[in-house]
Amino acid sequence: MTNRKPPLSLPLSRRAILRGSLAAGAGIGALSLGGPPLVFARNAWAENYPAIGNFPIKGSTVKFGFTVPLTGAYADEGNDELKAYKLAVRHINEGGGILSTLKPMSLKGNGILGKKVEYVSGDNQTKPDPARENARRMIERDGIIMFSGGSSSAVAVALQYLAQEKGVIFMVGLSHSNDTTGKDRRRYGFREFFDAYMSGQALGPILAKEYGKDRRAFHLTADYTWGHTQYESMKDATEKQSWHTVKNIMTPLGTKDFSQYLTAVLNTDADVLVLNHYGADMVNSLTQAVRFGMRDKQVNGKQMQIVVPLYSRLMAKGAGPKNIEGILGTVNWNEKLTDPGSKAFVKAFQDEYKEPPSQAAQTAYLQTILYANAVERAGTFYPPEVIKALEGFEYEGFGPGKSTYRAEDHQVFKDIYVVRGKAPSKMANQFDLLEIVAQVPRSQVEYDPKMMGGELGPYIPNKT
Amino acid sequence: MITPLYAQSLLREGAVMAAVAVALIGLPWFLTAIGGYSELATPIVLWGIFALGFDILIGFTGLLSFGHAAFWGLGSYAAGLMLLRVTDGFIPAVLVGTLVGAVASLLLGYLTLRRRGIYFSILTLAFAEMFYYAALSPLQQWTGGDNGLTGIPPADLCGIAMKGEAIYYVIAVTAFIGIYVARRIMRSPYGLILRAIKSNETRVASTGIDTRRYKLMAFVISGVYAGLAGSLSAVYQTYVPTDALHWTTSGQVVMMAVIGGVGTLFGPMIGAGIVLYLANVLSGVTAQWLLIQGLIFMGFVIFLPGGVVDAGRRLALLLSRRPAPTDKRAAGTVSVHPAQAE
Amino acid sequence: MNLANLSLQLLTGLQIGAIYVMIALGLTLIFGTLGVVNFAHGALFMIGAYLGYAISEATGHWVAFIVVPVLLFVIGIAIERVLIRFFYNRPAVDQILVTFGLALVLQELMRWIFGGTNLPYGTPDWAIVPVDIGIGYYPPWRLVIVGVTIAVVGALYLFLRFTRFGLVVRAGMRDPEMLGYLGIDVPKRFTFVFGLGALLAGIAGVIGGPITGVTPDIGMAVLVPSFLVVVIGGMGSLPGAVLSGLLLGEAVSLSVLIYPPSTQIIIYLVAAVVLLWRPRGLLGARGVME
Repeated sequence: MTNRKPPLSLPLSRRAILRGSLAAGAGIGALSLGGPPLVFARNAWAENYPAIGNFPIKGSTVKFGFTVPLTGAYADEGNDELKAYKLAVRHINEGGGILSTLKPMSLKGNGILGKKVEYVSGDNQTKPDPARENARRMIERDGIIMFSGGSSSAVAVALQYLAQEKGVIFMVGLSHSNDTTGKDRRRYGFREFFDAYMSGQALGPILAKEYGKDRRAFHLTADYTWGHTQYESMKDATEKQSWHTVKNIMTPLGTKDFSQYLTAVLNTDADVLVLNHYGADMVNSLTQAVRFGMRDKQVNGKQMQIVVPLYSRLMAKGAGPKNIEGILGTVNWNEKLTDPGSKAFVKAFQDEYKEPPSQAAQTAYLQTILYANAVERAGTFYPPEVIKALEGFEYEGFGPGKSTYRAEDHQVFKDIYVVRGKAPSKMANQFDLLEIVAQVPRSQVEYDPKMMGGELGPYIPNKT
Repeated sequence: MITPLYAQSLLREGAVMAAVAVALIGLPWFLTAIGGYSELATPIVLWGIFALGFDILIGFTGLLSFGHAAFWGLGSYAAGLMLLRVTDGFIPAVLVGTLVGAVASLLLGYLTLRRRGIYFSILTLAFAEMFYYAALSPLQQWTGGDNGLTGIPPADLCGIAMKGEAIYYVIAVTAFIGIYVARRIMRSPYGLILRAIKSNETRVASTGIDTRRYKLMAFVISGVYAGLAGSLSAVYQTYVPTDALHWTTSGQVVMMAVIGGVGTLFGPMIGAGIVLYLANVLSGVTAQWLLIQGLIFMGFVIFLPGGVVDAGRRLALLLSRRPAPTDKRAAGTVSVHPAQAE
Repeated sequence: MNLANLSLQLLTGLQIGAIYVMIALGLTLIFGTLGVVNFAHGALFMIGAYLGYAISEATGHWVAFIVVPVLLFVIGIAIERVLIRFFYNRPAVDQILVTFGLALVLQELMRWIFGGTNLPYGTPDWAIVPVDIGIGYYPPWRLVIVGVTIAVVGALYLFLRFTRFGLVVRAGMRDPEMLGYLGIDVPKRFTFVFGLGALLAGIAGVIGGPITGVTPDIGMAVLVPSFLVVVIGGMGSLPGAVLSGLLLGEAVSLSVLIYPPSTQIIIYLVAAVVLLWRPRGLLGARGVME
């Protein structure tokens, strides 16, 4: 649905004057503290949508807001995300990248609905509170129509609630917790990145194949929403393979020294250590676990193993190839994929930044394009229409096979990858740290949306 | 009987409060004019209330507490939990939050005030950190752990939803009352005793006054303000982060008090504005805003320990070339229009 | 839970405590002699870790171990001359505030220069492979940390007990005013002691860096527990710092076995209990800031 001019277009028609004064009144109202939506701006014509959040757009450009961690536990991923966002904005405005490979694609490479895209950004310090303040500032002062980012699930969840409240769509960046599209799912939030359950389902069978079915696992888990869901998913998936879960210890996010936990692990008869950690946590815990001899230890007549369910190339770099060699985990995407979309993205990123993109960058980039594409398809920036355009959207041309944005929980489903750390001798260059062990088909990792609970909420915010 | 002197002081008081009212009303607009955004006014006034109560403790009684985040945070969680689980009434939530702040500060004050000086400060820090880590892990079911308390519904005050403009004005009114009450307290004999304790506790004790009781009262008053501000924050944000209990929150209010000017009541509120402006607006301009904030803080501690208010006063003196006023008028009687102090 | 397991957990506690002890030593030395509560001490540790990484990358570990403490000594002297000495006569609150501000500024400065991400400060190659110590495999570097701490404590003790300067420092900790009357150049001594404290923090940083990681916020992260160690042990008491460091290290390590969610809280709990029961700390001198 597009904004159409009224049938009577004489400038001084009674209706035009009425509309003008209504608009003026609404404008004056809008100068106040950005409060509740201006319901009185709604008028008789059905084609003109009511104002929600920062819709309608004032001016000839449209702004996106990006809040990423530039400091804190996930700073590395945050930096990469920001690079990807900038690239996505450029491709939207000028064409290129996956605009030529993703199908169905409505963007023409000249902005969105004729408007050029600009962006603002902020450092959320990997914490939910600064993230919300960033977002509030960008929404109120900079007038963004969409925001994206967040590298920890706690941040993602906090921002989703804010998005719902303010009526500004939030495209989740890196967030792996089941809760983000599970019990904390929101109508105004969308996540492309896979979740902990999918990782567990993909890893379980492969772990059993590689390490056998008679294993005793000790879990060290980051103590926040993502860690918890990751632990539960891994516990479920491995116990389905007849593994025994010895114990789980929650470690505070940002722990530097894991020695007391690792000693506790050594004091049991566990022969697999599962590190439900990400970012700096994983770099520290993995390095220290190796130092404590966990890779060389023999327990129950078997070689002790370490598993890192959620991997990223940046984390692998931080831990160092000597430590990650042979360790299995899962990723959302990998820069070595050969489909045209991945190749186009990797090339564009590499040309611009001289190094390949991480999975954090990939999801940031794709989310931005998906949003822009949805707007172009819907023909309007009006959030409920854009949301409807995304719900149930099936696409291909970036990554393997067909992907779907499921309407019931705003989660993308697609094939995911099990990877393994490469031996230093087999690395082609300093970025070649992970090798793909298996591509797990989507059917194996899909689940019923009701399993995770949660409710999306209304299309129009502020209606409780 | 109303003597001319009394009438004069009433008039002065009236003028001060009127200026405060104008400042509070004009703040959102002022912020937009200086490159901020109007919604920033709400957290500024919230932290202003927090800092106000804190000033009673540090500025007037001379006690440096590194643990006040505990009362702000506990108040926030209490109010948030009220809204989430019990009722969405604004008044019950804020009342409960403030009460929790009061009770917690009574308890903590009783324990920590047994010691003085640096031991007192460290004890306040230790207890506050305990609350923080307790909220993070063992009490996760209640506090949401690292996620914080999410999905709090907007509070309802007589049918009006508390957000946007509405909540700003409610908070502004609360701040107005808070300032008035604080000024009254500080100018009462009670306030006099507190100031005496700051300058020389032994001497005050030797006159037979139970200084511990007075210190405890000051501690509790500051805890009430913190709990109140924390509850309002939960209502405004519809969210409570665990960071609310972290020592960096305590550190932030200390910075606001120092930058603004301790012992002036208004100073810390101005300090709140400056610190939050830097955090929110400067952070969009440069990645080094924390460094700048730290340098500004150090600058004040080293060169202008009286804070912005003191700097403003000296400037006013310089410009007017009048003889310096006697010290009696120094603390607690400043009527600097916040906008002028910049 | 057999003896070997328990011993392993106790050893870990020892090694956790060792880092606290090293930082606490410098803190309590500075406080005991100068009467200054140095909130920037954690930042000095952090700088030590950063310099340790930078220098060991360039010239190898042994050079770093020697150079970094010396550099920190110099930095400490500079800080004392330029900033701290103006605050001796200012109220204690101001001292805390200015060093707190300094800590923040140093932290952000390092973030600006080196970035916020973790720098991979590795241990020397011989320390990477775990060694069999009878009760299990243990990372050798952590054993090195314990060893170095013992050596430092020993050296400090000898220095204070058997050298003239040490005598002056000990006297200064008891009564700085008297020292001035005796004609000793107190300001110069103060500068030296602050530098010494910084040197200790530097040693802690250069050997502890590989364990704690190298990020701008490790300073504050180690400062709070170290402060508690100092206060529990008794401000100004070096044996107190050693004792309480060990105590807290073991508390943290053993809490994992008993009730893991309490690992973070245990040090604050212990601090609160000790301070309420024995306000001057375990071995603190009576009357010091009571």
